[in-house]
Amino acid sequence: MTELAEPFAMSQPAISKHLKVLERAGLISSGLDAQRRPRRLEAKPLAEATEWLEGYRRFWEGSFQRLDALLDQLKTKRKKRRRTKR
Amino acid sequence: MKNTERLQVTTPTDREIVMTRVFDAPRRLVFEAWTNPEHLPHWMLGPEGWTMPVCEIDLRPGGAWHFVWRRADGTEMAMSGVYKEVMPPERLVTTEAWGGNWAETINTLTLSEENGKTTITNTILYPSKEARDAAHKTGMMEGASQGFNRLDEYLRTMA
Repeated sequence: MTELAEPFAMSQPAISKHLKVLERAGLISSGLDAQRRPRRLEAKPLAEATEWLEGYRRFWEGSFQRLDALLDQLKTKRKKRRRTKR
Repeated sequence: MKNTERLQVTTPTDREIVMTRVFDAPRRLVFEAWTNPEHLPHWMLGPEGWTMPVCEIDLRPGGAWHFVWRRADGTEMAMSGVYKEVMPPERLVTTEAWGGNWAETINTLTLSEENGKTTITNTILYPSKEARDAAHKTGMMEGASQGFNRLDEYLRTMA
């Protein structure tokens, strides 16, 4: 844990707390030997989490770009209609 | 390019997905594009390659909606729900489900306007964390995302 805490301006208890949360979420696991408890990053749940969010984002990103274009058209149409009314 | 507005997708709680996006149009128009079957099939299509042959909208509280997306090879995805709150041009609350045993979500769309620009926030609320996880493993992954993954593969073969 000392090694993990090194790069952060955070107290050891704070780091310990973060590690516990990550472990409970299944995002890291900890090994056990005499002096150290090496932590392992569990990549699979992280990858799954970003994968479904990414699919979601892709759906809407693509849709919204088309919506931008449609809104431009609608705005132009309204302006023209207003002009012809006058 | 003018469309530099970025889509933000966050998961503030275990049960929610929240997305926000700014559009360069008054919210009256955004609401209309979002709820009028004349407009919706032209944009709510995800990545390239899909059409929306069915877009039924009964825009009133208690009214149903039903969308079907189709790809050139015949793959279809369907989604339906019921409108709970319809308050043009600022708020739209609907239920949404892929059908079968997949979880039904409650989607709350809010639109706020400032200087002719509209910020939309769409919150998708799952009945539970378990339902959300299940939907993403079986529903989204095998439904929407699977379709999109296949599309990805297809696009790769074209490149």
